Amino acid sequence: MPNYEIMFIVNPTTPDEDIDKINGQIEGVITAGGGKVGKVEKMGKRRLAYLVKKFREGAYVLFTVEASGAVVREVERRLRVLDSVIKYLTVRMDEDAKRLDKIKVHREKRAARRGRSRAEGGERRGPSQAEQMPEE
Amino acid sequence: MAMQKQYYRRKKVCKFCVERIDNINYKDVKLLSQFVPERAKIMPRRISGVCTPHQRLLSDAIKKARSIALLPFATE
Repeated sequence: MPNYEIMFIVNPTTPDEDIDKINGQIEGVITAGGGKVGKVEKMGKRRLAYLVKKFREGAYVLFTVEASGAVVREVERRLRVLDSVIKYLTVRMDEDAKRLDKIKVHREKRAARRGRSRAEGGERRGPSQAEQMPEE
Repeated sequence: MAMQKQYYRRKKVCKFCVERIDNINYKDVKLLSQFVPERAKIMPRRISGVCTPHQRLLSDAIKKARSIALLPFATE
């Protein structure tokens, strides 16, 4: 199942217990739908970059979730309904992670190759970077 | 003998390639805000020197960060 990050902003005037309550609710929705909650991170109050529903700051919460799209849709619906949630964003992470793994493997392979060629006495060649001609 | 004055312009290099930053995350405000000048526009490649693949990832990350109010769309 794909990985998602669900981030939402709660009205800064809501007490901490209420935020925990919302988190509990969301977790319930996810586990009920057969998903897994990886991490719940309360990022605390932050200044918003622009006004959101007339609020200048908000309490950020980040969920790392492994769930199907249907579950995520349900979570988003819940977040929309909740009055104290002023903004939310869901980002799919697994494709990004795949890309990062690929780069990592590629880099390790290259490092290994480079190490070997140096051991054999091969000259290490820098990346052939076309030197830009100085303008004018 | 009219010699043209030689200006040497240092070749800009992509910050992400040089520092090996693969993970351009929308949550990393400190990193992203280096590429949004005062007017909160995304800095063009010709100024920042970021390579095309990284610029694409960067602009995606900035747009995500904007939609969750980590970065501004425009200055107030």
